[in-house]
Amino acid sequence: MSERAFSPEQVAVLRALEPQRPQRVPELATRLSLDQAKVAAAAMSLTQDGLVSLREEPYREWSLRASREDAAEAVILERRIVRALAAHEGRGSLAEVAMWSGLDAKEVGQALRVLALRGWARKEGAALVLEPTASSGDPMHDPDESAITLLAANSGGRMTEDELALAARGAQRELDLDRARTLLGPKNAWIEIREKTHRWLSLTEEGLATRAAGVESVREVSQLTPEMLATGEWRSIRFKPYDVQLATEPVYPGKRHPLQRVIEDVRRAFLDMGFAEHASPWVESGFWDFDALFQPQDHPAREMQDTFYVARPRRATLPCDEALVDRVRSTHENGGATGSLGWGTPWDRAKAEQNVLRTHTTAATIRALRDDPKGPRKVFSIGRVFRRETIDFKHLPIFFQVDGIILDERASFSSLLGTLGAFYERMGFSKYYFRPDFFPYTEPSVGVYIWYEERKDWIEMGGAGIFRPEVTEPLGCTAPVLAWGLGLDRLAMLKYGRGDIRDLYWSELDWLQGAPSCP
Amino acid sequence: MPVIGIPTGELKSRLGRELTSEQLLEVLGSVGCDVDGYALLRRVQCTRCSAVFELAGKEEPPVVCDRCQSDLRASTSTSTSTSASASTSASTSALRELPPLEVVRMELLAVRPDMFDPGGLARALRGILEVETGPATYEILEPLHTVRVDPSVRDERSFRPHIACAVIESITLDDDRIKILMKLQENLHWALGRDRKHASIGVYDLDSFASTELEYTTEPPDYAFRPLGGATSSTLANILSEHPKGRAYAHLLAGFDRYPILRTRDGRVLSMPPVINSEETKVHQGTRGLFIDVTGPSARVVDRALNILATSLLELDLGARLRGVKFVAAVERVTPDLTVQRVKLSVEKTGRLLGLDLDTASVEMLLRKMRHGISTSSDAASLEVLVPAYRNDILHERDLMEDVAIAYGYDRIPRTLVPTMTVGRELPIEARSNRAREVLVGLGFLEVMSLVLESPESSAQLLGLPDHPESVLLENPISVDQTQLRTSLLPGLLETFARNRHHALPQSIFEVSDVTFLESTTETGAREERHVSLAQIAPKVGFAEIRAWGEALVRELGWPLALRPTQGAEAPFLTPGRGAWVVAPDGSIAGILGEVAPTTLDRLGLGNPVVVAEFALPGADGGPDATALRSFSPLR
Repeated sequence: MSERAFSPEQVAVLRALEPQRPQRVPELATRLSLDQAKVAAAAMSLTQDGLVSLREEPYREWSLRASREDAAEAVILERRIVRALAAHEGRGSLAEVAMWSGLDAKEVGQALRVLALRGWARKEGAALVLEPTASSGDPMHDPDESAITLLAANSGGRMTEDELALAARGAQRELDLDRARTLLGPKNAWIEIREKTHRWLSLTEEGLATRAAGVESVREVSQLTPEMLATGEWRSIRFKPYDVQLATEPVYPGKRHPLQRVIEDVRRAFLDMGFAEHASPWVESGFWDFDALFQPQDHPAREMQDTFYVARPRRATLPCDEALVDRVRSTHENGGATGSLGWGTPWDRAKAEQNVLRTHTTAATIRALRDDPKGPRKVFSIGRVFRRETIDFKHLPIFFQVDGIILDERASFSSLLGTLGAFYERMGFSKYYFRPDFFPYTEPSVGVYIWYEERKDWIEMGGAGIFRPEVTEPLGCTAPVLAWGLGLDRLAMLKYGRGDIRDLYWSELDWLQGAPSCP
Repeated sequence: MPVIGIPTGELKSRLGRELTSEQLLEVLGSVGCDVDGYALLRRVQCTRCSAVFELAGKEEPPVVCDRCQSDLRASTSTSTSTSASASTSASTSALRELPPLEVVRMELLAVRPDMFDPGGLARALRGILEVETGPATYEILEPLHTVRVDPSVRDERSFRPHIACAVIESITLDDDRIKILMKLQENLHWALGRDRKHASIGVYDLDSFASTELEYTTEPPDYAFRPLGGATSSTLANILSEHPKGRAYAHLLAGFDRYPILRTRDGRVLSMPPVINSEETKVHQGTRGLFIDVTGPSARVVDRALNILATSLLELDLGARLRGVKFVAAVERVTPDLTVQRVKLSVEKTGRLLGLDLDTASVEMLLRKMRHGISTSSDAASLEVLVPAYRNDILHERDLMEDVAIAYGYDRIPRTLVPTMTVGRELPIEARSNRAREVLVGLGFLEVMSLVLESPESSAQLLGLPDHPESVLLENPISVDQTQLRTSLLPGLLETFARNRHHALPQSIFEVSDVTFLESTTETGAREERHVSLAQIAPKVGFAEIRAWGEALVRELGWPLALRPTQGAEAPFLTPGRGAWVVAPDGSIAGILGEVAPTTLDRLGLGNPVVVAEFALPGADGGPDATALRSFSPLR
C-alpha cells in the first residue's frame, strides 16, 4: 500500500484513468458521479504530484444570447435593410431606409460597414444602393445566419465549432465559421463565442505504479467538529493545509482611549511615588480658582476674555471659615500677616464669589491644602480644566491637567527639582532641563523642558515652583509647598504622533481602533 | 505673551564681554527669558514722522502710521514688488526701506519690565556675567521744572490721580533709538499699564515748550488742542470720538465730564493722558531732551513705570543725564524717586528653602549679581537687601530667594527627594471608573472621550426632551453650540455614531465622564456626578443585548440589576416598550437603557438599530456610602 493518503476524489480519479487513453473532465465526472469541480481539483493536485498527466486543448464554444425561439425567427439587421431596399427599387437615403426598415438612423449607419462586407449594399453619395448579388428572401444564406439557425435548433443553444460544422453538414449547408465570426463581430446581439479549454487526463507511469501499490482514501476536512472527536473519526481525517501567508480580516480589541491611557500612566506615576489623589469641582468659585492662589483680582487671566464665567449658578458661597476669607483679603490688599506688600488694591468679595469653570487643577490641590494644612503630605489631582480659547489645532477650551503638591518641612527647591526629574523620568523622558520661569502663585518658579527626539527639539512640559507665602500662610501652612502642573493632552499628542489636538476628542473610530496600545 | 525683538548689536555692545551667539542665548535662558532665537527683521520707516516699523517674516507694512496717523498705503520708496506705479510713488511715497536688523526674539517677561529693552536687559546680564555687580547708580540733577497738580485730578470722581515726571537731557536719538523708546513705552503700557489702565506714559520733546512751569489738571470736553497726527486742533470730545487713539482709549475715561490735561502754565498742551500727546511736542530725530510723564490710579505702578523708563534710557545712552521734576501739590516731592526698597532676607531661610548650603557672603554675592545692594548694617543672620527702584516684582523676601536661585544657576542646584515616606492613595470613584472601563473593554467596547460643553438645543433635540432645568449655564460661551455643561453622556455617543457612518459595523463605544447639575447644598451651587454610558450600532441589535451588557457591567461592579419600564414620554428617545429605568436598591433611579427610537435615528441620519445605556456610578464624592446609587437625574 502506498504511504500516501489520498482524498476519496483523488482515489476515484486514480482508479478511473488509464495510461495513453486520455479522458476529459466532464465525462470522467459523469462516470464517477462526482461534481466536475471536485474532479478537476483532485486531478490538478495529482498532476502536481506527477501521477496524472494533463493535456490542454483550446476550443471555441458558441452559444445563443437570445432565446432559441427568438433565434429561430432571427432576421439580422442587414437583412432587414436589404428587404427594405428591395421593396423600394433598390435605392434610398439613410433616413428613408431607416423609416422603411423600422430601424433608427444610428443602427442603419452602424450597419453600413457589414453591408459592404457581405456585398449586399453600398453607399453612393447620400444614398444606399442594393447590390445586384443581394437577395432579400429565404433561405438566409450568410454563414452567421446559418449558425444562428443551427444553434436555435440545438436543444442547449450551445455548440462547439466542431459540433456546428457537423450539424451544418447534416443540414446540407455551407458554413464558413471564420467568415461567420468576422461578420458577427464581438458585440453582436445573437451569439457569444467563448475561448475554452478541454482538459484531457491520463495516468502517468508513476500513477500506474502508485495505483498498483494500492491507494487508500482519507477524508480531507477544513474544520474539526465535535462529532469527529466523539466518533473518533478524526483518526482517518486529514486537515486541509492553510496558506499561512493568506491575510485574514483584521479584528480589534475593545480599547481605552489613548488620552485615558496617558492619564492612567500619569496617575500610576503619582500613586507609585506616594501621592494621594484628590478632586475638585468643575464649577469653582473665583475664590479657590484665583484669590486663594494670590492671583490679583485684575489679573488678565481673570478677564471674561480668558475664563468661562458661570451664569447659572452665578454665585458661590465662600468657605464658612470667615477668618480664612479675611486672611486672603488682607494678603491681597496689604500682605496681611505674610510680610508681603500685597497688591495694594482693595479686594472685592463679590469677585471671589463669582463662579467660573476651573482654569487649572491647582484649584484641587489648594483645596486639599486647606483641608489639611499641616502635613507632611503629597497630593495630586487629574482632571479637565477650562480656558476660553478659540478652537484650533493647538488649542481647545477644555483639556486635561495634572497638579501635584508636596507639603513638607523638609521640602526645598532642590527636592522640587529632584521630584520633577523623578516624575519625568518615570514618564519616559530621560533628557530634561530646568529654567527660571514665572507664575503668579509660585516663587521660586521653574519651567521644565524635555527633549523630544522625534522633533529634535526641547518642548516645554510644565511649570513648577514653591507656593508663595501669600498663598500658603493664609491657609495655615507653615511648611514649604512644592507644586507643579502639566497639560496632559499635549503629552498624548506627542505620544501618539497626532498634530491636531482636536483629534483627541473627535472620536474617529478608525483612529481609536488602530491607535497602538504601546506607542 | 507678546514677542519682542531685542536688537542683537545694541545688546551685545552693552555687555562688557564678548559672547558668542550660543552663549548669549544660554545666559538669556538662565535668567528666565523664553527665547525663540535670532531673526532678521525687515524695517520700513514712515517718511512723515520717521516712525520705524519692524516686519517679521512675510508681515506686510502697516496701512496707517500708528504714530502720526498718515496713510502709508502708497508704495515704499525702494518699491519692492507691488504694482503701484513709480510715477505716483515718487511724490507720495510714505514708507522708506531701512537696512534689515538682527534681533533676538523672545517672549516678553511680564514680571521683569526692567528687562524689556537692550539697555535694561544688558544691565541685568552684566550682573549675571559678573562684569558689573551690585546696584547701578544714577545721578538725578536738581529739578528745573515744576508741575502743579490741580486738586480736580485727585477728587473722588477722578481717574488718574497720580503723576510722576522726569527730564532726560543731552540724549542722542536716532531712528533706531526712537524705535527702542517707542517699543519700551508700548511694552510698559502692556505689562505695567494693562493697556494704559494702570499706567500711561507720555514722552515729549523737551525743547518744544519753553516754560518750566507745568500743570496737571482737568478740562471740559469742549477744551481743544492739536492731537498727535492732527492737522488742526480738536476738542477733547472730538478726539475721543474721532481720533483712532481716542476711540481706542475712550473707555478709560468713560463716565467723566472733565478729562485730564498736562500742559504748561502758559497754555501749551503736552497731552491728554492716557489718550494722546499733542502734535507740537512730539519726539523726532534730533530731539536733544525728553520730558516724560506717567499717570495712573496707583502711585506704586506710576513710580515704577517712570523709574524703569528713565533708567533704561540712561542705560541706552550713557551720555544722557537725568533731571528731576518738582511737584507742587498737597505734598511736595521730586520724581523720579529712585529710593531703594529695603527688604530683610534671612540667610538661613534662603538656604533651607533652596536646599543649598549658603553662607552670608555667598548670598550677598548672588544678590549683587542680580544688581541688588546690601546695607552695611546687615548682620550675619539676615541681610538688608537694597532692591533697585526699577524692580517691580519684589513683594516679599521670597522673591529675593528666587533671585538668589537664578543667580546660583538652576542647573547647578542638586536634585534631591523629600525623605518623608508617604503612601499613595487613589480616589474610590477613579478606581471604580477604571473597573467599569475594564468590563466594557472586555466586552469589546471602544472608549471615546468628548468635550463636555454642549448646547441645550442640540442635546434636548437629540433626546427629544425639554431643556434640563438643572444644567449649568455659561455666562460667556465661545460659540452657540457650547453654552452649558452636559447632563448626560448619551448625546455624545449618538453623535459619535453619526460622525462614523463610514466605519464598519457593529460599532460598540463607551464613555466614562462627569456630568454636572445644580446642587444647592454645595459651596458653588453645582456638583459633578460620574457617569458611564455605552452604545452599539449594528444591523441586528436590540433590547436583549443592551440588557445583557448593562447587567454584566453592574454585576461586575457589585450591584444587582433591577429594571422598571419607561412610561409614555419619560424617555421619548427610546422605542416605547423597549426602554427601562435602572432602579437602585433604595428605589431611586440610577440609570436607563433601551433601544433608540427610529425617530431619533432618523434625525441623526443613522441607518441601523442603536441600543444605549447610561449609569450613574456611586460615590462620585468619594464618600463612605459607596454602594448607594446616586439619583440619576439627567433624563427624568
